[in-house]
Amino acid sequence: MLYFSELEGKRIYTEDRIEVGALEDIIFVASANPVVSKLVIRTLKKTKLILPFSYVLHIGITIVIKKAYLIGELTENELFIKKNLLDKQIIDIGGNKIVRVNDVSIQEKVTTNLYELYITGVDVGLLGVLRRLGIESLVLRFLRIFNYNLTSDFLPWGDIQPLELSRGKVKLKITDNKLQNIRPEDLADYLEQTNEKNVRKFLNILDKNFSSEVVENLNINYQRDLIQYWEPKKSASVIESIQPDEAVDILLAISKKKRDEILSLVNEKTKKELMHLIGLSRTSIGRFITSEYLTVSPIDTTRKVIDQIKKETREFSFIAAIYVVNTDKQLVGVFNLHDLLLNEWDTPVYKFMVQNLIEIRITTPIEIAIRKILRYRLPALPVVDKDKHILGILTFDHITEYMTKRLDN
Amino acid sequence: MNTLFDKRVVSFFYRFRTSFLISLSIFGPATITAMADNDAAGVATYSLVGAKFGYSILFVLLIITFLLAITQEMGVRIAIVTGKGLGDIIRERFGVKMAVLVFTSLFIANTGTLIANFAAIKITGSLFNLPALVLILLIIIASFLFVVKGNYRTNQNIFLISALFYICYIVSAFKAKPDWGLALTSVVIPRNLTFSRDFVFASIAVLGTTITPWGQFFVQSYVLDKKLTIKNLRFSQVETYFGAFITNFFSFFMIVATAATLFAYKIPLVSGEQAALAIKPFAGELASTLFGFGIFNAGFMGIVVISLTTAYAFSEFFGFEGSLDAPFTKGGLFYGIFLFQLIIPALIVMSPSISLFTIVFFTQSLNGILLPVMFFFLLQTSNNKEIMGKYINKRWYNYFAVIASAVIVVAVIFTIVANLFF
Repeated sequence: MLYFSELEGKRIYTEDRIEVGALEDIIFVASANPVVSKLVIRTLKKTKLILPFSYVLHIGITIVIKKAYLIGELTENELFIKKNLLDKQIIDIGGNKIVRVNDVSIQEKVTTNLYELYITGVDVGLLGVLRRLGIESLVLRFLRIFNYNLTSDFLPWGDIQPLELSRGKVKLKITDNKLQNIRPEDLADYLEQTNEKNVRKFLNILDKNFSSEVVENLNINYQRDLIQYWEPKKSASVIESIQPDEAVDILLAISKKKRDEILSLVNEKTKKELMHLIGLSRTSIGRFITSEYLTVSPIDTTRKVIDQIKKETREFSFIAAIYVVNTDKQLVGVFNLHDLLLNEWDTPVYKFMVQNLIEIRITTPIEIAIRKILRYRLPALPVVDKDKHILGILTFDHITEYMTKRLDN
Repeated sequence: MNTLFDKRVVSFFYRFRTSFLISLSIFGPATITAMADNDAAGVATYSLVGAKFGYSILFVLLIITFLLAITQEMGVRIAIVTGKGLGDIIRERFGVKMAVLVFTSLFIANTGTLIANFAAIKITGSLFNLPALVLILLIIIASFLFVVKGNYRTNQNIFLISALFYICYIVSAFKAKPDWGLALTSVVIPRNLTFSRDFVFASIAVLGTTITPWGQFFVQSYVLDKKLTIKNLRFSQVETYFGAFITNFFSFFMIVATAATLFAYKIPLVSGEQAALAIKPFAGELASTLFGFGIFNAGFMGIVVISLTTAYAFSEFFGFEGSLDAPFTKGGLFYGIFLFQLIIPALIVMSPSISLFTIVFFTQSLNGILLPVMFFFLLQTSNNKEIMGKYINKRWYNYFAVIASAVIVVAVIFTIVANLFF
């Protein structure tokens, strides 16, 4: 998770290290799905330049963009974070003043062929003001002396009316007494829930490509629920357009009757491929998974996590990813050791954990799991039950073992 | 024919009555803000300059009336047109860093002004042999109850009643038997103006006590709390001019009361707060008591208004509901800031080891630095077509506003520099 205040003013370079300027503002689509569409760059010559986000390669200490970029322009329904959102008054559905937008939180969404940013919500807490002033960590460190921990208060994007935003108002969908700010560390969990709700709501109006994309990015439990809930015809069309191994994973988790019904509606070519994959193996991954994994809380700092690694993982044969679980023990994020080393001692893990998890079920065949590991180039996959509780992990080590055996046979 | 005439008369009266009633319903914010500018510290300043320079300082009042009217009118217009307080505008248009800077300064400056007010009450109390601690405690309890318990309406009415009590200065002035002819002509015709350093300082002190950063914040927030809309703009503007006039109308009598006595008999006054007792031998018991009562009244009004300013400003900064109409549960933070702003200066005044002079000088300087910044925001906003639409400053008005701001800024810089280096 990123904050706008942390991105503002970041230097922008092309991939061959030529400086373009600094980030001035961010343009997003004012809708239920607030994707960042463009960046406003203040160039070295102090002019303004609008860059479509598709040219952005990486956001780290600096922002790296493609060498051959084209300039974009503002289109309908697009708004600026700084100009239209930041510091603005938030009102509830009855027009009462609630609080101000102190910062805007942004989530990176990285898949193999897609790099996107989208707005997850607004920070309405005091911490947001302190961050903008650049004294956040100073104050936090000071408060820690008294064993006091200040965390941000969030209003998730789902509570804001995007239509009113275009009219210059930051208006909520709820009344102020229903207002329940959530902690950023619980954001991942919340987003999944709202995603599912949104998908159900927009069931009939979403176009096929978009709905497939949403389904692919959902938690596997929601995927199964959706496919079961939908008309077989709709399910079949979604199944057709998502990755075959993903599709097989979903199909194996539903009843055989429903599966056959959906498969009968899928086109011949995909059906053949899916049947092949389903027929490959019925070997459950149960005997390959291990309980040698580490879970931490979203608010743990990198310092605490490193301490925990030293204490608790002495006996582990393999550790590549660390899993983040919320207070209900549900899996909400993951990060690797590299992420851990790159961050400051006092940074809480929710700030850099990946919320968009790739998971498998206990029913997932090993072949499907292998394909997922290879496709996403992951060192390990978490296995979750229907309540999102982590049951164990399947690591690259186990897969190597399995494949070696297969090759020997 | 006759009946038509009757009808016309009736409809005229009817229209007059409606517009009069509407006016009454709009009346309040600008007058109260302007009157609060004559807080206890203000009264002390007027007494002092009256005693020192006599009627000649009255000419300065005329200029200040115009300056106050212009600056307050801009604030009222911005509030009504945009529906935003000065705090909202600074945060939204000038960013969080600028806002934090301005709001911290405002809090410190307001604390200083409140200290001056509490101190005026304390000194006047002790002159009349009243226990200072009890007085201040009573004022704090009364202010808090009246802000928390009352809604906007009751608050405004109490302020207006308090404003009426300024009449006691008129009585005091009459009892002092001044030379009315000289006093009145001195307002419009500069007489015996001595451009000495002291005179310039005194003029600027009068300006600084009347045109204040908190006054600019307060008038906007208070107009908003009254929920005035664009159709009330015309009358609110008229009220602003009226407020500026009536405030300086009372200031006139404060100055006259000491000018006719202390200045006339060449009695030196160490501090303005002692004026109430000092005029007794010349103007009599009643004038003296009323003058003292006037300081309590002015102190009470100033204390509530300035504390409210901080509460309004910080509510606007954080964006929570800041209104006198909000129930305690909803406006908890608003009332909390109000109480905090009220108690800190009271505690400081109670501690024996403070140097009031240093605090007042520091406060005046800080207010002085803040004023140009306020005018920058006001002029920027009131000239922005995107925000103000057709209600932006008229061209000639803008020249006037810029000149007024420039005069105030130059005066303020002059005082600070002179005080620091001479």
